[in-house]
Amino acid sequence: MVGRIASIASRMDRLYEFDREPVSANKLQSGWKFAGLFAGEHVAATEFVIGAFFVLHGVTAKDLLLGLAVGNLLAVLSWTFVCAPIATRTRLTLYWYLRKIAGPGLTFIYNIANAVLYCILAGAMIAVSATAVGLAFKVKTPALDAVWPNSVGWVILTLAIGSLFVVLAILGFEKLSRFAQICSPWIFTVFIAGAIAVLPRLGVRPNLRNFWEIATTKIWNGVPLSGQDRFGIGQIIFFAWFCNLAMHIGLSDLALFRYAKKWTYGFFSAFGMYPGHMLAWICSGVMVAAVGREMNPGLMAYEALGMAGVAGVLFAGWTTANPTLYRAGLALQTITPNWPRWKVTLVAGLGTTILSSFPVFFLKLLDYVAIYGLVLMPIGAVVFAEHWLFPLFKLEQYRAEKLDRPFHWPALVVWVGTLAISFFLPVHLFFRWLPGYLIALLSYTALSALRRK
Amino acid sequence: MLKILSRLLSLASLAACLFSSILYFLAKLQVGDFKLIFLVASVSWFVFAGLWSKGGKKSLSVN
Repeated sequence: MVGRIASIASRMDRLYEFDREPVSANKLQSGWKFAGLFAGEHVAATEFVIGAFFVLHGVTAKDLLLGLAVGNLLAVLSWTFVCAPIATRTRLTLYWYLRKIAGPGLTFIYNIANAVLYCILAGAMIAVSATAVGLAFKVKTPALDAVWPNSVGWVILTLAIGSLFVVLAILGFEKLSRFAQICSPWIFTVFIAGAIAVLPRLGVRPNLRNFWEIATTKIWNGVPLSGQDRFGIGQIIFFAWFCNLAMHIGLSDLALFRYAKKWTYGFFSAFGMYPGHMLAWICSGVMVAAVGREMNPGLMAYEALGMAGVAGVLFAGWTTANPTLYRAGLALQTITPNWPRWKVTLVAGLGTTILSSFPVFFLKLLDYVAIYGLVLMPIGAVVFAEHWLFPLFKLEQYRAEKLDRPFHWPALVVWVGTLAISFFLPVHLFFRWLPGYLIALLSYTALSALRRK
Repeated sequence: MLKILSRLLSLASLAACLFSSILYFLAKLQVGDFKLIFLVASVSWFVFAGLWSKGGKKSLSVN
């Protein structure tokens, strides 16, 4: 068992070897580079679904605006005060820092969990793209409560699009990443122009005098669609905050901020949260209201912008599924010794493609995003506690590394225990991560203190 | 020179996408014309932005 873990750890280390050393001073990047990166990364295919779901969940216009303003601010502050300071002090990726803290065995489990979650997310993006291509073939988008595929057409469509995305990903991640960079300003324009273009259909007059009236009666009117629970300001604040939980509180973005000159560069995440998330979600809300609240991103964009809109949804899905597939493949490569990258991508891609045919993943996207963040959040708490709280309480840091242990059991116990407690917390799914995070922080610190005694 | 020109034309294309929707909202454009302009401007963005980005710096490694 120990030999097997050591072998896996060694393979895993080779994969991440290129970023093993802390980033050197000459490789640090300017703040505007971070602004551009955040602005580009946070306008994705899923934005078409998220903003639309807020409308379907009967959010009022005031709750939406205030909730998004506050929630996105909390996300920016999380990047700035939780993630960026650790990144600029260690200059390591989460992979290498977690390895020091929790041991290679637990890092391996974290990688696999991450890979599975990435595959599901990429599957949701493929499904969003399928709604656009489906218009041309008259394939009906599954109903809101659908779990299983609703037709043979939907299955064929998602499998075909997923396979195409996977083949293109195998042919060249780098070229596609370049294409994604070109795409992102245009996709952002698709959101804004799409929302503006459907305003006349909703009855907004060119002088905009009745805009607020239309917004509060026809778009965010506080009436949920049948079968959808009603969201208040709390859900909006928490959703905007935890939408990228794995990145800020979960510390995945150590990989990014290790290149920052100062921890204050975390504030540049505002370029992704406000012009990105907030504006894109508002725009997709306007678009879904204009198509009679039908959750069909392809139809929303087509009605607003015609063929360019369809291309927008397709490209948004494609360009965001691509890096997600890449990351899933990288994580999975640890359990497939000596497999070339194309083979791992193929397997991860096939799994993702099959998942994409199940509409539940994109129709329950908000819940999935909550679960995604929740699952990875305790690891962020473990790293935060080890980095900041251990020196404060004079606890020994990095025991797993010093004792060369594959597993640091307190970290594993806290991870599993926090998830179990969070599962039974009697609050809405969106609110569970915060008490869970505090539980993880305190229990990991307490457990480590007890072990020392 | 080609790069500067590509940069200007790509930004102009993006602006055309946005302004065509505003003109449509203001009822200065018909729906068919608006969607055609948006499509052409979009294609134009991809052509010129592609030329502009050729030889550009690599982005940060986040993996």
